[in-house]
Amino acid sequence: MEVKVMQDVLGENDKIAESIHDKLAAHGIFVMNLLGSPGSGKTTLLERTLEKLAKEMKIAVIEGDLFTSKDADRIAKHGAEVIQVNTSGGCHLEAPMIEKALSDIDWQSMDMLVIENVGNLVCPAEFALGEQAKVTVLSITEGNDKPMKYPLIFKESSLAILNKVDLLPYTDFSVEEAVEDITTIHPGASVLSVSARTGEGLDAWLDWLRAQVKKAKEAAR
Amino acid sequence: MCKECGCGQNNGNTRLQFITEGYTEESAKTVEKALLGLPGVMYVHIHWHEGETTIDYNPSKTKMTEIIKVFSDNGLEAGL
Repeated sequence: MEVKVMQDVLGENDKIAESIHDKLAAHGIFVMNLLGSPGSGKTTLLERTLEKLAKEMKIAVIEGDLFTSKDADRIAKHGAEVIQVNTSGGCHLEAPMIEKALSDIDWQSMDMLVIENVGNLVCPAEFALGEQAKVTVLSITEGNDKPMKYPLIFKESSLAILNKVDLLPYTDFSVEEAVEDITTIHPGASVLSVSARTGEGLDAWLDWLRAQVKKAKEAAR
Repeated sequence: MCKECGCGQNNGNTRLQFITEGYTEESAKTVEKALLGLPGVMYVHIHWHEGETTIDYNPSKTKMTEIIKVFSDNGLEAGL
């Protein structure tokens, strides 16, 4: 019985996610679901991203956290429209939360909507939010074992970002092994090495985003 | 599904164990990689000496025939 209820809940989530997806895609807006562990550097990467891209395009950010508006406060300084969603202990965002947040954002005028999910490598992978792409940030300090231990999130993500590569000399992390594991779990996935702190590799990431925004616009024509 | 909190999809994954004849160390690696790349395949473990192949996968995302094809593409025959 319980199992049936869970499936219904997810079915409902997927329906709402699909309607969000179709609504924003029709307006040519690129929607990204940004995933990763707590402390992997999702918000820092987003800050560095906004510093560059907010001058070129209109970006809205939905920040998902259990509690506080700490992330939204950081993002608000970088020229993006931002709204904080608190899950009050919930381990992931769900599509109805996004639907509600969108009613408070002038999303029609945006080029890109970034949804930063709750820091967690497990649960958020299962809930579509209406995104066109999931991107997972894996910081190298988390270790090489993570892709094989948390395969679903990497199977779902079109791009994995290896963050904090400035720390490579101080760890045993192998970028080569990470790329091998991620592309084994998800053939066709892209992997980028980045340091949000030093700016290394940031240009490739920004170019990837620009290409997605362009693709979303062209698809809507 | 996250088993801790119960959120997400009822984990539709099934764990199957095949006995596969004729692995070499190399072909076991090739098969493991090919299986892991299939949609819904979350875990693969191969004891190549014994031919024991454990696969955790979601039957709604990958069909059994696609799994069997990975074996046959590598010149192997697998039985449950």
